[in-house]
Amino acid sequence: MNFLPSITTGTSSGTARSSLFKERSIKTVFFCTAFFAVIVISFILLFLLRDGYPILNQVGIVDFLLGSAWAPTAVEPLYGIFPLIFGTIAVTIGAMCFAVPLSIGCAIYISELASPRIKSILKPATELLAGIPSVVYGFFGLVVLTNFIRTTFDIPTGETWLAGSVLLGIMALPTIISVSEDAISSVPCEYREGSLAIGATRWQTISKVIVPSALSGIAAATILGIGRAIGETMAVLMVTGNAAIIPDPIWNVLSPVRTLTGTLGIEMGEVAVGSDHYHALFGVAVVLLVITLIVNTSAVIILSRLREGKTSTPGKKPFLTTATKNALLKGCTYLVLAGVVLLLFISLPWWAAGLVLAAGAAWYFGKDRLTRNHVEKIAFVLIGAAAVIVIAILAILLEDIVVHGLPAISWEFLTQPPRDLGRAGGIFPAIVGTLYLVTGAIAIALPLGVGAAIYLVEYTREGRITRLIRTGVDLLNGTPSIVFGLFAFSFIVIYLNIGVSLIAGQITLALMVLPTVIRTTEESLKSISLSLREGSLALGATKWQTIRNVVLPPALPGILTGAILSIGRAAGETAPIMFTAVVFSSRFLPTSLFQPVMALPYHLYILATNVPNSSVNRYGTALVLVVMVVGFYSVAILLRNHFQKKARG
Amino acid sequence: MSEHTIISTNNLNLWYQEKHALQSVSMKIPKKHVTALIGPSGCGKSTLLRCFNRMNDLVDHVKITGEIVFDDENIHAPGTDVVTLRKKIGMVFQKPNPFPKSIYENVAYGPRVHGIRDTAELDKIVERSLRHAAIWDEVKDRMNDSALGLSGGQQQRLCIARTLAVEPEVILMDEPCSALDPIATAKIENLIDMLKADYTVIIVTHNMQQAARVSDYTGFMYLGKLIECGITAQIFEHPKEELTENYITGRFG
Repeated sequence: MNFLPSITTGTSSGTARSSLFKERSIKTVFFCTAFFAVIVISFILLFLLRDGYPILNQVGIVDFLLGSAWAPTAVEPLYGIFPLIFGTIAVTIGAMCFAVPLSIGCAIYISELASPRIKSILKPATELLAGIPSVVYGFFGLVVLTNFIRTTFDIPTGETWLAGSVLLGIMALPTIISVSEDAISSVPCEYREGSLAIGATRWQTISKVIVPSALSGIAAATILGIGRAIGETMAVLMVTGNAAIIPDPIWNVLSPVRTLTGTLGIEMGEVAVGSDHYHALFGVAVVLLVITLIVNTSAVIILSRLREGKTSTPGKKPFLTTATKNALLKGCTYLVLAGVVLLLFISLPWWAAGLVLAAGAAWYFGKDRLTRNHVEKIAFVLIGAAAVIVIAILAILLEDIVVHGLPAISWEFLTQPPRDLGRAGGIFPAIVGTLYLVTGAIAIALPLGVGAAIYLVEYTREGRITRLIRTGVDLLNGTPSIVFGLFAFSFIVIYLNIGVSLIAGQITLALMVLPTVIRTTEESLKSISLSLREGSLALGATKWQTIRNVVLPPALPGILTGAILSIGRAAGETAPIMFTAVVFSSRFLPTSLFQPVMALPYHLYILATNVPNSSVNRYGTALVLVVMVVGFYSVAILLRNHFQKKARG
Repeated sequence: MSEHTIISTNNLNLWYQEKHALQSVSMKIPKKHVTALIGPSGCGKSTLLRCFNRMNDLVDHVKITGEIVFDDENIHAPGTDVVTLRKKIGMVFQKPNPFPKSIYENVAYGPRVHGIRDTAELDKIVERSLRHAAIWDEVKDRMNDSALGLSGGQQQRLCIARTLAVEPEVILMDEPCSALDPIATAKIENLIDMLKADYTVIIVTHNMQQAARVSDYTGFMYLGKLIECGITAQIFEHPKEELTENYITGRFG
């Protein structure tokens, strides 16, 4: 009767049941990996609160937050963190004054003015700027920037609020540039054509149509930049002088300040576990976490509203009416202008400030006489200047490190342990230690992250649980790296009693890069077209078979890119491993996971701040670290570009 | 006919990289009339239209030879002020593209970028343009609402009003009705008929009935060449070329 050779002669109910069981268990495993992010963030909150609560009990929340003196080691210790909160906010505001105009200018240049060739250089360059480890920025700030500030303003030390702001501004640049550039590039081409067809100049089109359309994206970019700046530890700690005072007068940018993160970075290593001071530091971490979570969540909300706005049905009332929006913009502009004038008079000699003011006044009163072609030229020159400045910063930084670092590099330097507190000898144990750390971190984060992403993209529709998981991932992503360090110290090192060890560092770094792995994998899975999945499912393949054979292979390059980016990030981090995994000097490599290791970023930090006369080896260490991290980033960028090109055909 | 001509092209060629998209096109556009460009998809009619106000400048790797004369000057000459040219030759696109601003702001945008600041004058221009585009009665009570809340047909008339607000001499329309339903289409067609009293209109359409209804002159294009052009009635009733006849009678395309 059977004319056709049968492929499977009717699966028996037994195998069908077992395959159903298999599918279910696979789904459960993925669910667990996805839910892990939620568990981690709850544990972080739990342990920070657990260790921070006693101080609130003792000092009282008001005195803790608003107390004007932080003197934990005094005979009668004082735990008021108001100067620290002020320091954090002050340094961040200063950084934004500097970073926002520069990054928006650069983003406009990249998306609207640059030729394709220049664009193909500028975009990876800004991404490299993002890849440079914060301890390297701190080192650069310490040896170049603070010196520059000291000699320019003729003050005893350059470690100031201003130095912290400039450095944080530089570090926030890549975040703000890349998110605003995305926002500007995604403004529909039709708006551009519509405006040009009326006879508007390019600058009129950019300033009146394109930038306003991209405004919420630019706002979100700025908030993300603020989040990055607030959570930054190492760079700030190395250049702000760390005096827990409120500057006098309050706008004195040449005064030293101390931030929340800096306090944690300096004092956490020396504090007795369980003391009041210890609990106070966890209180600081809770405050820091709350601030960054608020900032980052508002960015996430703005971005998601933006996405909704694009797909929403016409006729819906806009979020803000035009009139209120204009009023708000005007208010902000005046505020910023006032701030800039103030800053100018404080930081520049009076004649220079007067010159700038005169230029501003000339512009304000003369602009009606300028033709719009002149206005366009001036605007384009300024925008081009912003792009040039960004590239120049990258160039100066790399040049300084390469020129001073190269003489230190030798076979001995790369293969010998350090001698004389790192002034002589090499950095071999630090290189190996860093490699151990990142290998372990990625081995933990990759399966968890990929599993979570598969669950989020393939197994669920948007619902309450996915929203919870996504929130968990977002929160984890916004958590400052020093907070990971504190959590891991409290939970892994003390509570689980594992001690300062390689494995503790690996887990800490894994938790920190987990959101990156999840995000990039999700994006890469989403880019696989639905029809491919339907094609496979229509042949009777199970969900897991479809994922394994049809979805994962083309998504692999994207996943790999995410993994390499994570490795780069983990290799450069200092704050999370400072109290959990590293020692400064060790002649031998660790023989088990439960021994501490040396690591490049920490080695650089100690050489730069605690070991005088080690200039050559500092630069050598910085160069090796930069080469390593930038190497990882370049591979990731190249890989991504290669496969993007291939995907486009 | 020269006094009567507003734009003329002379041996115009255009390449997109290797593709020879326009081949020796020479035609004259009569002043204050409606000229339709018809032809099958990919024949170059939109490309030709976008040459008239140099919107092809926005596309990479385009090479153009020959000339387009407007106001006694070749608009592809090196010293041409593209911005001024586009003020005189406005354009309405296939897909309505209002800016994400209020209705008022959309129309006022053009006069503003050309330097008009006075509010009373702007109000006047906005009202006149909206009336002229036959949409005033539908939007006069909600000038401050977002333009993205209008229907497709209303959006397209708003875009026409936006173009009228800068008082161009020529209006280019690139398949302005292809995204609209028949009722909205009828409104736009009536509008085009009224516009030709004051403006020169060049319209690209793939709909031959529409070309027959709204235009005074018609050019038929095929594979980058202008096959035939002349008075609309003549083209549709007594085409000279066999290709034109085949296309019009629906034997291909």
